[in-house]
Amino acid sequence: MPVNLALGHVSNDFLIAALVIYSLSVVAFAGDFAFGRPRRAGASGRVPQERAAALAAVGAAAVGGVVGADPALAAGSAGVLAPDGVQTPADDQVPGAGGGSGGTDSMPELAVPALRAIREAGAWVRAGVALSGVGVAAHIVAVVTRGLAVHRAPWGNMYEFVTALTCVAAIFFLFVMIRYRAWSLGVFVMGAVVLALGLAETLIYTAAGQLVPALQSYWLDIHVTAMTLATGIFFVAAALGAVYLIVDRYARRVAAGRAEPGNGIVRRLPTTEQLDRLTYRTIVFGFPVWTFGVIAGAIWADQAWGRYWGWDPVETWAFITWVLYAAFLHARATAGWRGRRAHYIQLLGFTSLMFNILVVQVFVTGLHSYAGVS
Amino acid sequence: MTRAPVTRARRRAVVLVAAVSAGVLLIVVLVAGWAGSGKSDVTEVDGSTSAVLYAAGHRPVAPGFSGTTLAGSRLSFSSYRGRVVVLNFWGSWCVPCRAEASTLAAVAALYRSSGVAFLGVDVRDTTASALAFTRTFGITYPSVTDPSSAITLDFTSVVPIAGTPTTLVIDRTGHIAGAVFGSTTYPELTTILAKVSGKAADEAVSR
Amino acid sequence: MTDVRVSETDPFESAVPERDGRRPGNPGPAGGSFGTADWLKWAWRQLTSMRIALVLLFLLALGSVPGSMLPQEGTDPAGVQQYFTSHPALAPLLNHLGLFDVFGAPWFAAIYLLLFASLVGCVVPRTFRLAGSARTLPPRAPRNLARLPASAGYATAVSPAQAAEVAARVLSSHGFRLRRPAPTVLAEPTVLAEPTVLAEPTGAPDSGSGSGPGELEGHWVSAEKGYLREVGNLLFHLALLGVLVSVALGGLFGYKADRLLVQGTSFADTQTDLDEFYPGRLVTAADLPPFTVTLNTFEASYISSGAQRGQPNSFDAQISYTASSGGPVRTDRLEVNRPLSVDGAKVYLIGHGYAPEFKVTDARGQVVFDGAQPFISGTTGNFLSQGVLKVSGAQPEQLGFSGVFVPTAVDVDGTLESVFPAADNPVVSLIAYAGNLGMNSGPSQSVYQMDTTGMKQLTAAPQLLRVGQSLKLPDGQGTVTFTGYQQWVSLAITHDPGQLPALICGMAALGGLLLSFVVRRRRVFVRASTSPEGTTVHVGGLARTDASGSFEDEFASLAAELRSAHQQAAQDQGVPPSAPAAPNRHEGE
Repeated sequence: MPVNLALGHVSNDFLIAALVIYSLSVVAFAGDFAFGRPRRAGASGRVPQERAAALAAVGAAAVGGVVGADPALAAGSAGVLAPDGVQTPADDQVPGAGGGSGGTDSMPELAVPALRAIREAGAWVRAGVALSGVGVAAHIVAVVTRGLAVHRAPWGNMYEFVTALTCVAAIFFLFVMIRYRAWSLGVFVMGAVVLALGLAETLIYTAAGQLVPALQSYWLDIHVTAMTLATGIFFVAAALGAVYLIVDRYARRVAAGRAEPGNGIVRRLPTTEQLDRLTYRTIVFGFPVWTFGVIAGAIWADQAWGRYWGWDPVETWAFITWVLYAAFLHARATAGWRGRRAHYIQLLGFTSLMFNILVVQVFVTGLHSYAGVS
Repeated sequence: MTRAPVTRARRRAVVLVAAVSAGVLLIVVLVAGWAGSGKSDVTEVDGSTSAVLYAAGHRPVAPGFSGTTLAGSRLSFSSYRGRVVVLNFWGSWCVPCRAEASTLAAVAALYRSSGVAFLGVDVRDTTASALAFTRTFGITYPSVTDPSSAITLDFTSVVPIAGTPTTLVIDRTGHIAGAVFGSTTYPELTTILAKVSGKAADEAVSR
Repeated sequence: MTDVRVSETDPFESAVPERDGRRPGNPGPAGGSFGTADWLKWAWRQLTSMRIALVLLFLLALGSVPGSMLPQEGTDPAGVQQYFTSHPALAPLLNHLGLFDVFGAPWFAAIYLLLFASLVGCVVPRTFRLAGSARTLPPRAPRNLARLPASAGYATAVSPAQAAEVAARVLSSHGFRLRRPAPTVLAEPTVLAEPTVLAEPTGAPDSGSGSGPGELEGHWVSAEKGYLREVGNLLFHLALLGVLVSVALGGLFGYKADRLLVQGTSFADTQTDLDEFYPGRLVTAADLPPFTVTLNTFEASYISSGAQRGQPNSFDAQISYTASSGGPVRTDRLEVNRPLSVDGAKVYLIGHGYAPEFKVTDARGQVVFDGAQPFISGTTGNFLSQGVLKVSGAQPEQLGFSGVFVPTAVDVDGTLESVFPAADNPVVSLIAYAGNLGMNSGPSQSVYQMDTTGMKQLTAAPQLLRVGQSLKLPDGQGTVTFTGYQQWVSLAITHDPGQLPALICGMAALGGLLLSFVVRRRRVFVRASTSPEGTTVHVGGLARTDASGSFEDEFASLAAELRSAHQQAAQDQGVPPSAPAAPNRHEGE
């Protein structure tokens, strides 16, 4: 079937539009950092002992995994917070301040619904979330029209793959940000998305076209889709890991007395525990998808090349990536390897993933050389 | 939890024993697989593992076949019944086949009067090259072409033909009595023929 | 995936507070001497520790890197040879380290074997422990449920005993395993009467329970759920082991073979007729299934215009085959991603190329060659192919030709280039040689390579021929005519008995992974005690620390359900006590 070039152009236009809108959302989130309403978002120096003390002080009180640090970052939507928990800088020391302390009645309450939380986070956050949402919509249109233009799943070469995975990353992050009220992370993750899309547009752009016969199989829809999803999710985890390292470094500097607590942008970022947990949950979501993608790739390789695993360079690097993320999961359960080191491992895993996509597929000859980049 | 260390030690012992026995079993299996099988019904010729004689009663039946010779005529293997046949698998592109060709021509001439027939099976070849080969080396006995390798396939199911050249010696009852896997030498071939046809080389000539 | 070893801060396994590498109850050998057995024990403990597993994972990842960067013997032997020629000093050293066959090298095998030994050493005790914990009951409810990460409290009108009963029913309906206090213990606080050991009750004083001092047991329910998580964890790790075994199975009992097949010809699956044959360790040529394949036609179509001109569009090979000698002939279409399955083996279409046809007459006027000779295109674009033609039957001197086949030839500044992969304008360019090809003795030669050391070049420059044209060799050496061309396909024949087991183990690993991520081990406690408002019910719960799910949601809804069940029970108590009503069940949430 001939390629619909007109639709291909439409796809490109929508992608550029998404890029621009994402950039504006990054500006909005940055504005929230600089000018937004003060939110004591888990400033450095909070340590877990405070939480137990807080619990004991209140007696039969709070329910919820992440307590005390950031009322705006209520991990677990059925968390504890009182309806006004979002906007009370003075009350953020004590969890569930409005929930009724002591006595015999302390049932867990539902948290603030999402839309209200967005509204109450300030104009900058509203703008950032709205722009991100519109950007995601444009991005989805770009991906879908590309697929319609080429009459197949739109991830058949590197350009298509990068645009699709950034779309997954943006959607996933939007969901995470709203669910956990993590507005302060917007500038980092959306910024990374903008960078990635910019790279795709300038360096590896490929016009809409047909696939070589080896890729004309329904396995493309299964294997590459899974890899796209997993990469998008790991993309978000990597951005969060980078933020973790920033916050952790600052916390260590404060603990060593070399920095003032409550300074700068770090003041508005979540605590290391929160970031660590968020990153862990993200990777826990992405790791099975990546595993499935590797298995599907092996099945397809057997169909196409006669063996399900041949240590082709791309296969090898997918394996290395898998092992590194497995090491991350192991590290979180090993004494001395939690925290910073685990995130180094996770970022190393993402680096190997990106290396696989951008370098190995293009420059190392093997059976996987379908990047489409000349 | 006072029971725990005792049961833990016992469990560890069980696991250790299981692992050791599994390891021993694995080694036995692997050694058995690698060692290959030594058959007593096969004797080597001249100490070479590639030239063998099959003891009477352990000789596989040579499958029948028919084909077109290089000259273009039809030939059927059944027409050779009752005679000792030397069947040689070759190709004009094959270097070891070229190396042994003169030997085959010479031995064929030697045993012609004794009624031993030589027959070639030309594998993966084209007619013009094959005919040129026979001219070059003075091969006067016929060869059938095997374009779909059907003949090779049939014979591989009874003897382990691994490549070209391969020479099989078939006795008068139509059983494969001897084989040379690889290029054959004068001593090897004549030894086998002496055993199978009952006539030593010098006897064959003088007859 | 979770830790295979127990996490230190795991509140569930407080009886075994392990640090990496050391277990309680085993402080070391008495007397201070450290014999061989102790060294082995130490080594085993180190091997099965999380830290070493982490190190081995890193090594596995690191060790794979050279396997992807350097050419490997198994997939690219020509590339390895090229590396040797271009890096004459470095290559032998790398070869010594096994870097040209990384994935078959002993050191790589050592890494993954150690990793799997570590895995087995962790998984087996964990399996025993899981079996054990499935038999033991959940722990007793703590006295002060408010200290738990999730807790709630409310008042209800039913008596504590009834409240506990209702709570047990609700929790049990959600699949929790329960533990209730033994009925006799209620009256006898005997344990606490011992003055020596338990000087004071553990934990904080009863701040919220409202019960009187000395009532040790009270009415409580202890519930636990989520054992499947550990099952999933163990399943995942064992399934990885299964994948390794499957790969080994394939390596032992499987085989791979290659064959280049020119259009119009056939081949049989026998060692003589295959170009390459790589049997597994326990496979011999006799295990090859006796099928035959004929290539009837092969068509390749290419995109003829636009930005992707020259890119292949589709390949398809029409074949006929028989499963065994003399069996019925079947036809099939072979494509990429669409192999032929016959006799337990699979035949794959891997690549294709051109085989120009020649007719060679020697000095004596005899036709000494008449057929197709496959040329190989390599990585040059548009199927510019190279090959040799060795005419060993030419008399008096053997002839040889080295040639280039150009499918769509266009003259670009004096050099011939191919601008399109289809044979729209086929041209062959030949250089002729005469002499000794070296084929009458010595080692076997590749059909695609010619050794010209014993030959002299007959033509100074390459001669171009179109289809039908002839080249007359000097000194009456003969003639060569370019008569046409055929296409050839390259086929891969494989058999891998470990393929299906590997797939099953892979899916099992995925299933175990998902199970271990989704299911959380959690405990819920309910305590009911009398208080000024009637009966106070405290509900508390906790989940394992590195849980990925939202236990808070589940706890909140459980607490709500318990409360409404108690309210329902209180209402029903308006009914005569001889017929107590069952509380409403909320199935599903």
